Amino acid sequence: MLLFDILLPGLVLGGMYALIALGLTLQYGVARIMNLSYGESLVAAAFGTLSLYSGLKLSPLLALVLAIPAAALLNWLLYRLLLQRLIRRSKDRGAQEVDSILVTFGVLFVIQGVMLVAFGGQYYSYSYLSIPVTVLGSTLAVNRLVALAFAALIGTAVYLALTRTRLGTAVRAVAVDPNAAQLVGIDVGQLAGLAFAFGGGLVAAGGVLVSMFLTFNASMGVVFTMKALVVVIMGGVGNVMGALVAGLLLGVVETAVARLVDPGLTLAATFALFLAVLLIRPTGLFGKAAS
Amino acid sequence: MLEISGLSHAYGKHQALADVTLNVAPREIIAILGANGAGKSTLLKAIAGLIRPRAGAVIRFDGSDIAQLLPHQIVERGIALVPEGRGVFGDLTVAENLQLGAYPARARDGEDARLAHVLALFPRLTERMGQAVRTMSGGEQQMVAIGRALMSRPQLLMLDEPSLGLSPLLSREVFRALKTIRGDGVGILMVEQNARASLDIADRVYLIEQGRNAGDGAASEMKSNADIQRAYLGQSREPATSKSK
Repeated sequence: MLLFDILLPGLVLGGMYALIALGLTLQYGVARIMNLSYGESLVAAAFGTLSLYSGLKLSPLLALVLAIPAAALLNWLLYRLLLQRLIRRSKDRGAQEVDSILVTFGVLFVIQGVMLVAFGGQYYSYSYLSIPVTVLGSTLAVNRLVALAFAALIGTAVYLALTRTRLGTAVRAVAVDPNAAQLVGIDVGQLAGLAFAFGGGLVAAGGVLVSMFLTFNASMGVVFTMKALVVVIMGGVGNVMGALVAGLLLGVVETAVARLVDPGLTLAATFALFLAVLLIRPTGLFGKAAS
Repeated sequence: MLEISGLSHAYGKHQALADVTLNVAPREIIAILGANGAGKSTLLKAIAGLIRPRAGAVIRFDGSDIAQLLPHQIVERGIALVPEGRGVFGDLTVAENLQLGAYPARARDGEDARLAHVLALFPRLTERMGQAVRTMSGGEQQMVAIGRALMSRPQLLMLDEPSLGLSPLLSREVFRALKTIRGDGVGILMVEQNARASLDIADRVYLIEQGRNAGDGAASEMKSNADIQRAYLGQSREPATSKSK
């Protein structure tokens, strides 16, 4: 059935977008770092999974368990060694954003360069659980369902952690007002570092899951950075529920356009949806009203 | 409890605070009076650690120097600031704001009892616990801000313009709450444009002019001081001439 042919793959894709947007929300909304190398981390995680799978015959699900803490650690080091110094010297939020864009732009080329040296420019994919199953009358591979299940699991866990725990509430408080957060005894620098690291862990998880069913190459990271940014802004910067809903919406709309109109128009559809949302609600779907 | 001496701070070339001295004893309500731009807010920010005082300043709290501590460490020592403009988390609910108030380690024990206490102080927050704070009135937001500060179990509560933008009725409610809070054993240091109301509840008053100490004394004496009346209470020195205006 056509509806499910669009809806199911759309939700799989949207689940990936939601997951990586959640990570960017933590990095941009909480730690206030506009990380341009975000998509490169995702592709690096995809290549890591490929290497473990084809080289050591390790399951991508095991790679998932390894990738999250490894990426979190690397991102934490990046924050502590490089970005935190920038934050200390920048006078205001605008200066901080420009500085962080310049630095992470450099990080982007470093990661991409290493991947190009190691893997070249060609496309890669591997076959993992590519067994067709029929769900609700539409056929898709088991690997997509596994990816969706893990994205849903991780997304739900992060959402609950952010909304139901004191630490999660503190993280959201830093996103809302870092100055006031200091006044309730929150060590803002430390918590921002934690959020940045955890955001890096989430994008690595997204990379592992995406690699299970998409072909990828060393220079496609920018597409994921852009889509994550579109989803975050569409959902309302710093809003967790907004990132989840906007991610799913984008996945379904892209799949519908690819299926019903032309696959070449998915990027156009992305930006049409983006512009439509911003015209109607300039602060995003779940953003606070402009005051 | 709080002893400050030699406190100076400059914003660029503008000397905001110059060699300020101030003391707060336990359970004391201190009001700071002064014109706009006299450095009152800067003084509270310096105590809270939001700005660095110039070297040589001494800010002792319970016997230890806190002048070089970071804001979150100062909250942990037992000083809470309700900043000007309240500083509440508008996108979060009342319950979440109050829960965050108890974020410091010192505040974790007895959190539930303190929450009940705050809700007894501001009963109208009870029915609003699930509401986003930015959708509430200014007075209710001020209650959230004071309640959140109390959740950190402070020994000293600092307030910057707590009645700014509030109706007279709500201002009275806030001042009444401050008296109750002092009754619970918390010292209060406040900056307030409503000099009359703050003189009514304060024990002692400090005058700050152009960033310097310009006098201090018991609130009851200050109220009858002619200069104070003229400068802060809006009374003319010779009431008879006021008709001509």
